[in-house]
Amino acid sequence: MIHAYILVIMQPGFSNKAVDEITKQEKVVKTSVIAGEYDIIIRVNVKTLHELHELTMIFHKIKGVKKTITSLIEKELSI
Amino acid sequence: MNYPRKYFFYILVLTSSILYAIISGIDATVNTLFITNPFILGFSIFFVGIFISLLFAGILSIPINGKSIGHRYFDPSFKRLRWIQKKEIKYHVLAGIGNATYTIGYFTLFTILDDPSVVLPFTQIVILYLIIIESFNEKNAPTLIEIQAGIMVTIGALIGSLNLTGSINVMSLLIVFAILIPAWALLTIYQQKLKHLQILDNQNDAVNIRFWNVIISFALLTFIMFFYDIITANTFLIDGIIQSFTYLGWISLIAGGMFFVYILYIRALGIGKASVTQAIRSTIIIFTIPVSLVLSNFSIIPLFSTDPISLMIKISGIILIVIGIISYALTQVKAYIFVTIEPKVDIKKIMCDFWKIRGITHVSATTGTYDMIIKIQTRTLLKGYERIIKKVENIKGVQTYRWESVLKEWERI
Repeated sequence: MIHAYILVIMQPGFSNKAVDEITKQEKVVKTSVIAGEYDIIIRVNVKTLHELHELTMIFHKIKGVKKTITSLIEKELSI
Repeated sequence: MNYPRKYFFYILVLTSSILYAIISGIDATVNTLFITNPFILGFSIFFVGIFISLLFAGILSIPINGKSIGHRYFDPSFKRLRWIQKKEIKYHVLAGIGNATYTIGYFTLFTILDDPSVVLPFTQIVILYLIIIESFNEKNAPTLIEIQAGIMVTIGALIGSLNLTGSINVMSLLIVFAILIPAWALLTIYQQKLKHLQILDNQNDAVNIRFWNVIISFALLTFIMFFYDIITANTFLIDGIIQSFTYLGWISLIAGGMFFVYILYIRALGIGKASVTQAIRSTIIIFTIPVSLVLSNFSIIPLFSTDPISLMIKISGIILIVIGIISYALTQVKAYIFVTIEPKVDIKKIMCDFWKIRGITHVSATTGTYDMIIKIQTRTLLKGYERIIKKVENIKGVQTYRWESVLKEWERI
């Protein structure tokens, strides 16, 4: 299983609808609207890099999405 | 579907509270009409509880389309009933001591007070103990809002537990503060530690925790009662077994209900802080009132007073609890920190340095623009600065960091 964070920069005024679209995706486990340089951070769990690519393509098609940055998780400590 | 995590958390705790309130009504009925001795009743519930828990855990382990029923409907971490793991044993023993002690104390309180709407609110004072323990664990003073909410819920529980028949019992207060609350705090804290353990590369699950907790609590209680019977020349142990068969239907109802009360509660403990879970669970004070009215109607407990002053005081207690819970639950700050690390620095060491900071819930080493993405959960922004940022700045090898506060969050649970 591959875990990754996808950071999203949005055009103003589109965040709400974009979140609705993002949370519909089955591979998305967590979506947070954040304040700062980025607007949305998405946590995804996928089986292959191909699946991750397809998911990123879906996010790119969402209206208002300006830029995405994908960070694969190599190692993690969590409670 | 994705849900805001907190809604799911509230649903879990509130369902557990409503179910517990109903079970408390059955407890009061059995304790008043059939088995009046708290030791015998407590033992019977654990004795029958083993078979009931085994039955339910077995049913929840049945796979449907590759995933067990328990995994689908109760806890995604649950796969099937499994053997206890070595690293769980010490936590299970401590939680078992808490559970066995709490059960005996709880039924002793029922023997004295009868009315569930009086007994259960008392037990909610445990939130104060949990706030103190959590503050101690976090090596940090509790925030003003934590103190205010804790005091509000405690005073509310004390006022709300006023017996509507008008009597106050000093012995019951002693049992609550010296036995019941410390035992419940012990049970809650070690159940939460168990839920956060990684078992076979997965987070521990609520169903196995509850099942093994019943087994160990039963073993501990049997051990204590065996020696108690020898010393005091009683036959509680044998009586417990006999009464279990005599009132099998009633005891099974209690044990079965408690199985689900606990798996919902443990599942919630895996999501929220113990004190917040307990604060929301204090709503049980509201749910026990209709239960007590029904019992009073059937003359199982003394009739309710219709004195408007008593009723007003009780309602004031409930309002205080609800306000305390709301102010407690609504104040939580989450954030991400995006970190870049200097070249040639040991990432593993830096991850461990971050992990030592209280309030950090995830440390992820990542590829891409940032070397690490860190998730934070704290009570206030001030606490986030005092407790986290100051320490992040002191970690050697951190080149830059960027704090981004979470405004709203959805999670697939």
